[in-house]
Amino acid sequence: MRFIKIAATAAAIALAATACGGDEGNDEAGAAAPAKLNVWMMGEGTPEQTAFLDGVETEFRKKHPNTDVVIKYVPWPQVATTFQKAIAGGEGPDVTEIGNTDVQSHIEQGNLADISDNFAKWADGASLNKTALANDQGDGKTYAVPWYGGVRGVWYRTDWFSELGITPPKTWAELTAAAKKIQDEKKVPGIGAPSDQTNAIMSFIWGNGGDVAVKEGDKWVGKLDQPQVKEAIDFYAGLVTTEKVAPEKYIGKNELQGPQQDFALGKLGMYIDGSWALKEMKKVSEKNADKWSVFPIPTKTGGNAPVMAGGSDLAVWKNTKAKDVAFDYITVLNNKTNAQKWADYSGFSSMFTDVKFTDPKLEAFTAIAANTKMAPLSTGWADFEQTKKVIPNTVKGVMQGKPSADELKKANEQANTLLNP
Amino acid sequence: MLDTAPAVGAAPDRRSSGPARPRRRPRPGPYLLIAPTLLVIATLMFWPMVQIAIMSFQKVGNRQLAGEPAEQVGTENFSTILSDDLFWQSLRHTVLFAVVAVSLTLLLGTLVGLLLHRLGRRMSAFVAAGVMVAWATPPITAAIIFYWLFGSTGGVVNWFLDLLPDVLVGGDWIDHNWFATPLRTYTVLTVCVVWQSFPFVAVSVLAGLKSLPGELLEAARVDGASAWRSFWQITFPLLRPIFLVLLVLSIIWDFKVFTQLFIMSGMANRDAFNLSLYAYSEAFGGMNAKLGMGSAIATVLTLLLLAVTAVYVRIMVRQGETS
Repeated sequence: MRFIKIAATAAAIALAATACGGDEGNDEAGAAAPAKLNVWMMGEGTPEQTAFLDGVETEFRKKHPNTDVVIKYVPWPQVATTFQKAIAGGEGPDVTEIGNTDVQSHIEQGNLADISDNFAKWADGASLNKTALANDQGDGKTYAVPWYGGVRGVWYRTDWFSELGITPPKTWAELTAAAKKIQDEKKVPGIGAPSDQTNAIMSFIWGNGGDVAVKEGDKWVGKLDQPQVKEAIDFYAGLVTTEKVAPEKYIGKNELQGPQQDFALGKLGMYIDGSWALKEMKKVSEKNADKWSVFPIPTKTGGNAPVMAGGSDLAVWKNTKAKDVAFDYITVLNNKTNAQKWADYSGFSSMFTDVKFTDPKLEAFTAIAANTKMAPLSTGWADFEQTKKVIPNTVKGVMQGKPSADELKKANEQANTLLNP
Repeated sequence: MLDTAPAVGAAPDRRSSGPARPRRRPRPGPYLLIAPTLLVIATLMFWPMVQIAIMSFQKVGNRQLAGEPAEQVGTENFSTILSDDLFWQSLRHTVLFAVVAVSLTLLLGTLVGLLLHRLGRRMSAFVAAGVMVAWATPPITAAIIFYWLFGSTGGVVNWFLDLLPDVLVGGDWIDHNWFATPLRTYTVLTVCVVWQSFPFVAVSVLAGLKSLPGELLEAARVDGASAWRSFWQITFPLLRPIFLVLLVLSIIWDFKVFTQLFIMSGMANRDAFNLSLYAYSEAFGGMNAKLGMGSAIATVLTLLLLAVTAVYVRIMVRQGETS
């Protein structure tokens, strides 16, 4: 059974850790220059990413010639268990990338080193995005630094918009109307509204003045039962159910399980995704790539809805024996030149306010990123968003015809429990 | 895997309940020989089982993994689970799926087994090799393939159903979402799981058939018995022990299907959870692991499987006595 396996693995690792803990203990006295710096990167890793990181290592070794940087890629689905093993076995990385929704959990569990002093001395740190930085701090101390982030907008076809005389929608009504027009004239679904896309749905909730939860005193109090939220969910689900401008085939799926491919193939009018999607869509089909463009997710009455900034941060693991060297690696990896290179390769925005994309197509995202909002800074958010997928499951229920008021009431109860772990 | 032990261990029971043999004094030799294996199994399986039982009454998270003492919470984990609607829904899905998938697996497996027995040498080897490929496919690969086959963007199944005349299957298949409702998801899951598990049944049945004395079937044929009748009157009774073991194994395997469902519908489709996915979502999915809760669900699942196994072991022993 799975649980036995996990328990057995944990036990085996614990044994191994105690067995070999003895000989490693004292050799590297002092934090001067460890022989090896373990760096964990999230995701599968690509040849381009490895080449980029090799360049970073060369630059880093100018300063620390005796330190070998060892990169380990941790695929996203295995992130939680890999960190659990690191915690149980005491064999963690020195530097690690962390998904920004997990940072607060790591801080609370005491997994990250306090890097407040190093951070204060780092000149570039001052131009980092303040909202993103707040997510890396707790009790006035800094535990991580923002690396890259991504915001989402609505991808559309410029040729179809100009042919049908549509201007980028500024309100929900205009969005529906645009989708309807495309659907009628181009015989493809107007817009993709998958149920498993928390971050896009959050923009509709925020864009209508609603929120998931608000901190009152020490506690997070769920706000999903408020009328603004109900209106937003009704609108989003209504794209599928009442307006019928979004197809049913994306119910229960995320934006990568259909919408992205369909849009790239010219089989879908609009869909919500980030700047990094450009690279992926070109892999599907280059044919119409020059006609793709982006507009910000609209609010109900007009204007850009706040967007959730997804992304990754860089932290020093608590058990590292060379905190300063580890932080030096972060400052090389995320100096402005490398930040520029990384943004252009990955399609993710740099978290430096003064580093922009080179590709003009992605410029719209810089404007969208001006209006970001963080999800509740609760250690339970990771559970709420990723494990329990409360919003996706709620929206799925509504799309299948369950009353939104009941579903949101249940979701709100979950928010109250999960966000106050 | 552990749960199969009683089922397999029960087979000798049946034989020993036949004509009484003179009892011998137990000799230490055999026990010494199995001691190392037992020791390994005890360390790697029984000890974690014991730990799971202990943890199911505790609150265990990442901090406890790092060495902090765990808090005793009594039966709170169990009461949380049993009062959760999602648990009962997941349990219902698990049981219904097991009933359908096990029946189909055994039916299809037996039919293919009989076919293999009838086929000539070369053809039999060819077909056997063909079905074994399905069995050898890793569950992850199989799940991804089936997800593609039934996908709404470029899925072969929708394309094919759309090509068929509307009179037969209805129209509008091209954008059909196979994962929108639990019934549809489980339809795909059943096809995928049965496809992967019937070869084992087929090959086991074939092995059984090869061991049958040919005279019995020949005599039946001479007496003019139909194929249907000779299967139920001769083949099935003789192979009953094999069928029972296959039944118990299939139930155990289908009860804990995780990988395929996780890949096909995952966390965003809570309405299609089975017990394994429920346990995963409660215990492991995020940074705030609730290992105590996970252990409690694992304990419930284990007890259920032990109950199923016990029932069948009992039936087997009974049948051994009466036959």
